[in-house]
Amino acid sequence: MTIASVVEEAAHEAVGLSSDECLKCNICNEVCPVARVDDRFPGPKYVGPQAQRFRLAAPVPINLDGKPVLTPDRTVDWCSGCGWCTTACPAGVKIAEVNSRARASIRAGHRPRLRDWLISQTDLIGRFGAPFTPLANWTLHNRLFRALIELVLGIHRKAPLPLYAGRSFRSRFKRRGGLVGRAGEAALPPPDRAVVYFHGCAANYYEQHVADAAIAVLERNGFQVIAPPQECCGLPMISNGLYQGARTKARRNIDVLAEYARLGYRIVGTSTSCTHTLKAEYAEMLDVDDADARAVSQATWDICEFLLDLHEQGRLDTGFGRVDQDLPYHAPCQLRSHGIGLPALDLFALVPGLRAVDMDHDCCGIAGTYGLKKEKYDTAMRVGDDLFRRIEASGAPESACDSETCRWQIATATGRPSKHPVEYLAAAYAAADAVGGAAGTSAGAAH
Amino acid sequence: MPSADVAVIGAGLAGLLTAVRLAEDGARVVVLSEGNGTLHWAGGPIDLGFAPRASDAADAVRGLARRRGHPYALLGVDVAPALDWFLQLTTDLGLPHAGSLDGGFGPLPTGIGGVRPVSVVPAAQAAALEPWAPGERLVIAGQAGFKDFWPRAVASSLARPEVWGGFSRPARVTAVTVEWPGLHERRNLNALRIAEAFDNPDWRTAALDITARAVASTGPGPVRVGLPAVLGLRDHPRALDAAEERLGAPVMEFPLVPPGIPGIRLHDVLRAKLRARGGRLLLGERVARVETTRRKVTAVATTAATRELVTHVGALVLATGGIAGSGLIGEPSGVIRETVLGLPVEGPPIESWLSGDPLDPGSLPIAAAGLRTDDTLRPVDPGRPTDGPLFDNVRVVGALLAGQQWMVERCGDGVSLASAWRAAASLSGAAPKRRATPRRAEAVR
Repeated sequence: MTIASVVEEAAHEAVGLSSDECLKCNICNEVCPVARVDDRFPGPKYVGPQAQRFRLAAPVPINLDGKPVLTPDRTVDWCSGCGWCTTACPAGVKIAEVNSRARASIRAGHRPRLRDWLISQTDLIGRFGAPFTPLANWTLHNRLFRALIELVLGIHRKAPLPLYAGRSFRSRFKRRGGLVGRAGEAALPPPDRAVVYFHGCAANYYEQHVADAAIAVLERNGFQVIAPPQECCGLPMISNGLYQGARTKARRNIDVLAEYARLGYRIVGTSTSCTHTLKAEYAEMLDVDDADARAVSQATWDICEFLLDLHEQGRLDTGFGRVDQDLPYHAPCQLRSHGIGLPALDLFALVPGLRAVDMDHDCCGIAGTYGLKKEKYDTAMRVGDDLFRRIEASGAPESACDSETCRWQIATATGRPSKHPVEYLAAAYAAADAVGGAAGTSAGAAH
Repeated sequence: MPSADVAVIGAGLAGLLTAVRLAEDGARVVVLSEGNGTLHWAGGPIDLGFAPRASDAADAVRGLARRRGHPYALLGVDVAPALDWFLQLTTDLGLPHAGSLDGGFGPLPTGIGGVRPVSVVPAAQAAALEPWAPGERLVIAGQAGFKDFWPRAVASSLARPEVWGGFSRPARVTAVTVEWPGLHERRNLNALRIAEAFDNPDWRTAALDITARAVASTGPGPVRVGLPAVLGLRDHPRALDAAEERLGAPVMEFPLVPPGIPGIRLHDVLRAKLRARGGRLLLGERVARVETTRRKVTAVATTAATRELVTHVGALVLATGGIAGSGLIGEPSGVIRETVLGLPVEGPPIESWLSGDPLDPGSLPIAAAGLRTDDTLRPVDPGRPTDGPLFDNVRVVGALLAGQQWMVERCGDGVSLASAWRAAASLSGAAPKRRATPRRAEAVR
């Protein structure tokens, strides 16, 4: 990396310059879940807007080796990327984004650590593991192998890893005749009768029940589902500072999705972190911000956001059957970064008998891949500790959350399942059918 | 769902109090805030008003109410009932305050060694309202290496009689520096981390015993102990009780630079109350656009990752603050812009935004900039106030109201309380007697 490119990358970006708005008021340090539990992270203010002054200095400071000094403080790597600092900043500073870019600058030009590279390749891991599901699941949950993996790779032996579900969602969906092509490859239903489903890696390889529930709910409301070719959204790479690889993912996804977006199809995702990446991070982190990227961003919806929007238009089938249970709900950090409120809670309120309670906790700790790392696992567990204890204390048999890595973290820590909100909606529709037809259907859903 | 009886823009004291009051009356309330509000910078005292010759806060409020264009000219009469409500509310929420409108002022020392006149304070600062007895000493204790509170520096300032501005003062001021358990090895020691440590009963017992020994070493006789405002965050009431018991003396929390632990405590209990009443507080929501029909706001659109979050509203409360809270922006062109609705602002011309000594709070005429309202706090055009409200379902509360020099007049919290009270009453349809009507069942959230 040349000095010129460093200046280019840091100085001419709206994200970096938002640091100028910083009042040094400490609200970001106050809300930071990592700084709350771990002194090794000095807090978002210090590594973000304050350190940014040095990053923005021109000419770039040179250290004694003649290399540009990219950041005065490598402790930025303790940032989990949860984004709470940006959410709570009263002055509009893009603190988390500044920090993510700083981490990427540190990593740029270095070969990534094998562990960080590996856990960023979520679709690769999915693709290679799925055919060997029984073996892979046995290995990844065998204590001896996990100790070995921790020793060799640095993935903590107790960190939550998902179970492979066997054949991928895509191949099952294709086999049952689902639309899986690019726009123009096959005759498509009109955009008001179909949506593009961004399933992400989790629903493809591990949580196919989430994909099934999403399809059931979307079809119930008159939307056929199209699952065009897609790759990992790139967020794990972004989180690990591997921006080049993430840009490749972004480009490939945008190539496919933009064609649909331009035809008026909405892109709906069950992973709230993937949908946030499509919406915002391609531009804010990766500088992938051309017309195609913007078309994809504009067309992308988190599934609960999409369903609630249908409801506001009076188009959601509200003929939900009874789902009688207490349900602790954790709103993941990435959902908050969407800025769309808490749509899952609003949807839960439509289901008779479902008593959802917002746990009102900042972060479960996992932050994508952060809590998998040997050196960060304990920190991540302490971040989520209060949440885990309150879910356990609630006595509820399971909990709900919109993001897969959070669900795995919460399920592992609480010893009880954590489900996607759409699974409860699917269950409520099924319950309605079970008691004989759609009793109480309302609001003219498009069947 | 993204519709609400009332949307409150801004999560400072005025916004949260308006929201809580409306939610108590059964309204569905959502608070939309760009970030955490100015309460997170607050040091504890509830400033109702002050003037050097005023006998008490009520007197100061009356004085300000006689000033043409001051918010108290309209709201002065509401300060007393609003304060009664606030005192009852905070007591119910486990964060009781002491003091009153007519109990006179007391001197509260601060973390930079100054003294501020106070009339209503959280319990942890109540000792400031009691006159100093003859021979009574002040011992200031703080953690070694905590960079926001230097006991010796604070004590050397407070040892000068003139700092106390004519108030009753201690016979002697002494500083002790202590080592609370485990803190010397901690990096990044800030007020919040120490406050969290005080939430732990075992830790605080040990810390307070260390402090008690240090205080005892300063000699015999009655003392009060001044501590940085870090006595617990979530378990503050018990931490305060423990402090007074272990130290065997009245304790005073000195306000520090932000983060303001006393303000965060107040924010947390008000937010919890709002949630318990089915209200919601959303952070990271900057208003992008407001939908209006003739003289009515129908929806608020806030910024989101892609498309705006649209909240349909029955009424809108502007609690966005003044220049400091970014409810107003002074443009380089000299225009002072109201950031949500673009309402006409009353304020000085650009040449006199600042005058005289920039460090003198009295030299900031722009601080008085804000919105003019009718007597139910609906915004009017300051040039043509008699034309009636610009919007029928909008209310303006807090620092956004024109005509207050809150840094000099020390009336900011009183204006917040009284305007929240007035706005909530007018949006609830009628007067406080409505409190007696049955409330809507609490929303299941």
